[in-house]
Amino acid sequence: MRRLGYILTAIVLAVAAALAGAESARPQQGQLTIYAAASLTEAFRALDPSRQYNFAGSNALETQIRQGAPADIFASATPASTQNLFRAGLVEKPVTFTANRLALIVPKSNPAGIRSVYDLRTKPVKLVIASQGVPVGGYTRTVLRKMGLLSVLGKVVSEESDVKAVTGKVALGQADAGFVYVTDARPVSDQVTVVRIPAWAQPQVRYEIAVVARSTNKTAARQWIRTLLATRGQTALRNAGFLPPPKTAP
Amino acid sequence: MRVPPGDLFAALRTDAAVDAILVTLTTNAISLVLIIGLGTPTAYWVATRSSRLRDVVVTLIELPLVLPPAVAGIGLLAAFGRLGLLGGTLDFVGIDIAFTKIAVVLAVAFVASPFYVRTAVSAFESIDPALPDAARTLGAGPAKVFLRVAFPLAAGGLGAGAALAFARGIGEFGATIMFAGSLQGVTQTLSLAIYEQFDLDFDVALAISAVLVAVSAASLFFVKLFSRWRSSSTSPIPFAPSSQPSG
Repeated sequence: MRRLGYILTAIVLAVAAALAGAESARPQQGQLTIYAAASLTEAFRALDPSRQYNFAGSNALETQIRQGAPADIFASATPASTQNLFRAGLVEKPVTFTANRLALIVPKSNPAGIRSVYDLRTKPVKLVIASQGVPVGGYTRTVLRKMGLLSVLGKVVSEESDVKAVTGKVALGQADAGFVYVTDARPVSDQVTVVRIPAWAQPQVRYEIAVVARSTNKTAARQWIRTLLATRGQTALRNAGFLPPPKTAP
Repeated sequence: MRVPPGDLFAALRTDAAVDAILVTLTTNAISLVLIIGLGTPTAYWVATRSSRLRDVVVTLIELPLVLPPAVAGIGLLAAFGRLGLLGGTLDFVGIDIAFTKIAVVLAVAFVASPFYVRTAVSAFESIDPALPDAARTLGAGPAKVFLRVAFPLAAGGLGAGAALAFARGIGEFGATIMFAGSLQGVTQTLSLAIYEQFDLDFDVALAISAVLVAVSAASLFFVKLFSRWRSSSTSPIPFAPSSQPSG
């Protein structure tokens, strides 16, 4: 008992020391820290591997920035998150930089025999989606509503915290099907099959990016966003399967 | 913090919080039964042997204690996942544990078991060997020695171990979210609910966290109580009159 106590104390102290070390070693100037929607993982890494990234659900990133996280740039999979922060004065004016579509993915072995989105209603299936607050979770519910398939929400076995968690559960074969962005299916195309969602049922998926107001690196951050909006950035996004930003964007 | 206690109690009455409490209690109760049922004989075996095999067994038992939760999650997926080692076999007999409460129970049992077994081993080891020996010379078989001598004498330590395992189990996060997923009312435990509510409704996350702090503190308090009971139950006089009824 007592020895266990000593061991636990030692571990806590060691971790605290390690964290303190990591904290002081964190790059201060010159290094951009980019908080980006999980779906941007491959595209941003391909465009610029040298930056510090934090990929997660846009809603989680929004919360982190609200709590004062040391981000320089915030790229969200929904205008809602960036606009919330803009209204709160926590980011500069956001700009739209890309768009996306949704897809249903199933494991290559397709244990539930899903060939169309409508099969979700008739076949027993372990469906995984993102939770309501995550952008892709909201878009998923829009698709299901447009297709009159809201009843399949009863077949959801897990609500994940970001789109990569949904992708992983399907790619691993744990789940029978999951709603993700078409761009998430590409990196795991050897493990999953894409079931198309009709164009009329697609939600408008618009990505916004903004410089974080507390950033100490605003010049570099604005420059990075300019690169993203220019040909080089747009080509990287297009190569990852993203769509050009909609012209009608406000 | 800035949230008045009344609001915290109101936040605890939300569906997400109530469901998470129920899921956590049921899965942890089942895990604890499994841990005690399998862990007690294992601990007794370990405590009463001194072979080299013992060190191997102890290492295996203690491994989850030092494994990162993410590794535990991967390990459980590799073993019990649909494409894992035993997944095909389980599928064949019609058991699909993916995203069910069974998956949560397995994750909790995996990470919490060492806390019980470790404590149980030291509880059995601290029994004065003269007592089971005396029982044996009086004609008791191994089962009777365990049930009537070793188990009552170690009961305090076993209780402390169970309380520790429970405290670890209710906080389980990493292995659960990787292996069992997160669905309100099915696999979403308190820790997973905190993680989800953190972005949705901070007050609910705060309220659930407060519950976990209270439960963890209570568990540790029980550990202390049980430990004291153990020290008073092992009397320095080998053959002190026992309160157990004879026969």
